[in-house]
Amino acid sequence: MPLLKIDGKEIEIKSGTTVLQAAEANGIEIPYYCYHPALEIVGSCRMCLVQVEGMPKLQVSCNTFVGDVPPERKVDGKYDMVVDTQNDLVVQERKNILEFLLLNHPLDCPVCDQAGECYLQDYSFKFGNAHSRFDEAKRVRPNEYLGSQIVINHNRCILCSRCVRFTQEISGTSELFVEARGYNSKIAALEDKPLDNLLAGNVADICPVGALLSTDYIHKNRIWNLKEQPSVCQDCSVGCNVDVFSQRDQILRLTPRENHDVNGYFMCDIGRYGFHRFEEIERVTQPMVRNGESFDALNWDKAIEKTADLIKKSNGKTAGIVSPFHTNESNFLLGLMMNGVLGSLPPITKKEITYQSGFRISADRSPNRRGMNNICGEIVADLPSEIKAQAIHGLYILDDGVDRESDDVWKEILAKMDFVVVQTYAMTALARSANIILPGLAPFEREGTITNDRDRVQWLRSSLPKKGESRADWEILMMVMKALDKEEQTFADVGQVIKVMGEKFPAYKGLSFFRLGPHGMSLNGKASG
Amino acid sequence: MKSNGKLKQRFTFSDPERVEQIFSQYSDKKSATLPLLHLAQSQEGYISNSVIENIADLVDCHSAVVMDCVSFYTMLYTKPQGRHIIQVCQTLSCSLNGADALVDHVTDKYEIKPGETMANDRFTLMKVECLGSCGTAPVVQINKEYHEGLSTQKFDKLLESFE
Ligand code: SF4
Ligand code: SF4
Ligand code: FES
Ligand code: FES
Repeated sequence: MPLLKIDGKEIEIKSGTTVLQAAEANGIEIPYYCYHPALEIVGSCRMCLVQVEGMPKLQVSCNTFVGDVPPERKVDGKYDMVVDTQNDLVVQERKNILEFLLLNHPLDCPVCDQAGECYLQDYSFKFGNAHSRFDEAKRVRPNEYLGSQIVINHNRCILCSRCVRFTQEISGTSELFVEARGYNSKIAALEDKPLDNLLAGNVADICPVGALLSTDYIHKNRIWNLKEQPSVCQDCSVGCNVDVFSQRDQILRLTPRENHDVNGYFMCDIGRYGFHRFEEIERVTQPMVRNGESFDALNWDKAIEKTADLIKKSNGKTAGIVSPFHTNESNFLLGLMMNGVLGSLPPITKKEITYQSGFRISADRSPNRRGMNNICGEIVADLPSEIKAQAIHGLYILDDGVDRESDDVWKEILAKMDFVVVQTYAMTALARSANIILPGLAPFEREGTITNDRDRVQWLRSSLPKKGESRADWEILMMVMKALDKEEQTFADVGQVIKVMGEKFPAYKGLSFFRLGPHGMSLNGKASG
Repeated sequence: MKSNGKLKQRFTFSDPERVEQIFSQYSDKKSATLPLLHLAQSQEGYISNSVIENIADLVDCHSAVVMDCVSFYTMLYTKPQGRHIIQVCQTLSCSLNGADALVDHVTDKYEIKPGETMANDRFTLMKVECLGSCGTAPVVQINKEYHEGLSTQKFDKLLESFE
């Protein structure tokens, strides 16, 4: 293995590693813009210049590879390369590069959405000059839409071409290009092919400065006001890792969180903008009981008592219905409560979309169908005939807030029931038909695990506070269970539910939030069957 | 094919053999992009969207990549040009020797500013950077020919000879 000396530190690294990667892995900061680990190297921004011994000029560290050199060329008889990232020349060059990059920059950080997470700002502060010597008029260009959700502020763009390479290499859609050259260059989209693919939102994330902006977030808030919470997207069965940015009880934006076993660095726009759905939905925040055509509010104790009464009176003729949108724990608890569930709400499937880079949007648009099938193996395919066969006349449904058009089959099922209990966070068509509504949590409020379509279990952390009197779904199920005199099962938190679940399902044995960590764990097919 | 009342034709190369020959000179298709663009421009007079799509297909890449290349070079035109293209050098030697007067002359006489084309398509006027003939400044390139050491009178007579 080549021996690299960098800032006096001796490091053995794999041949073919770049100086930039080697530095990064060893806690030495080299500033960079055009380099992105998911994209081809272009070495165009010059921000990452370092001094390599024996080379007359500074070298771009992102495109300088360390390899074995023959013994007679080793520096000091042993180093394959000697690099200095801190000497006066490098320090001065960084100042110069930043001065160039800021020539036409409007210095409008106070109104820029990137401020607070902008590399132009950070590097200027750390490595730059306080003043520019440029006193000509700045080149000013108006903002433009590159696609329906992406705006470019040309004046802030440093032409690193990350966005262009993203469309060429990751989405493979190639809408963007660098127009013209030199002083006149700018990022452009083809007139008849705007940047409107389902991965477009990512360009705003990978833009190292405030040039590319998502219209969804523009001028909405300042990043330092927001709470950042790691979670998992629940809009398809891939389960991209995300960071949820929220203020009080409102989500402002989602950004992808790096996970090389799931989504790499990116996420799709279905998931990215999906949270707006919860803003439009009519929330249920209080237990309710039917009173003719409308509902009356009631307190939790009463609601649980009534629910338990109905189930008890039905003499085992109440069936549990789970959902591919709910967590493993909620589905599991319903099974425990009803001695097995009968069916599930219909999953949602659309076309699978796969991009050039392998990034995938699953055909299964429910986040936890795999987990549901693992844990509720007894789910029947033909629900109506099973209901008939078993003479079921009551349902306890874990509703998932997805407003499905109830088809005739479901309408018929509901019409036959003496009572329906719906545990939900939204006033769906299903909830409207209920006798009792128990208010649970919405997707980004929940805590628990989901299993993606490649058998990876991931941890959902609650990113938003509960609304009104709603309670965690596992807690509601536990309360009902207690009222049904299934006293032996009490759980202090959802972590305990996971433990008990693991005892019943070997594949899930030994799981805990601690073990799942931020990136989840693969079941390695242990759960199938 | 009519769309929006305008005649829209798909571009194809009129000399497929030449296209084949260009491809045979390179080991990868993409390298043929520039020569194909020149060939297309000599056939069409400019690079239309249809040219870009056609070439993108031929060299197996996206239109945006070809567009990136076209927009980089000032000698590839993305708009129709006049029958004759007047390129007046505006770099130092020519500038000192009266290139501005030549530009003004065309502007006054034919009512086109740099970058514009006459309504009857006779001339397109352009200012360009050094043509590499500084010793004989001022220099004007008309179509593919250089015309050196021009005075306004000589230039005027010269222009008359282009229909
Ligand atoms: S818009 Fe952003 S990502 Fe694209 S070239 Fe400019 S600075 Fe780079
Ligand atoms: S691919 Fe699926 S999990 Fe990933 S962001 Fe899109 S919808 Fe969400
Ligand atoms: S990061 Fe190395 S040149 Fe841009
Ligand atoms: S300055 Fe005009 S040809 Fe060089």
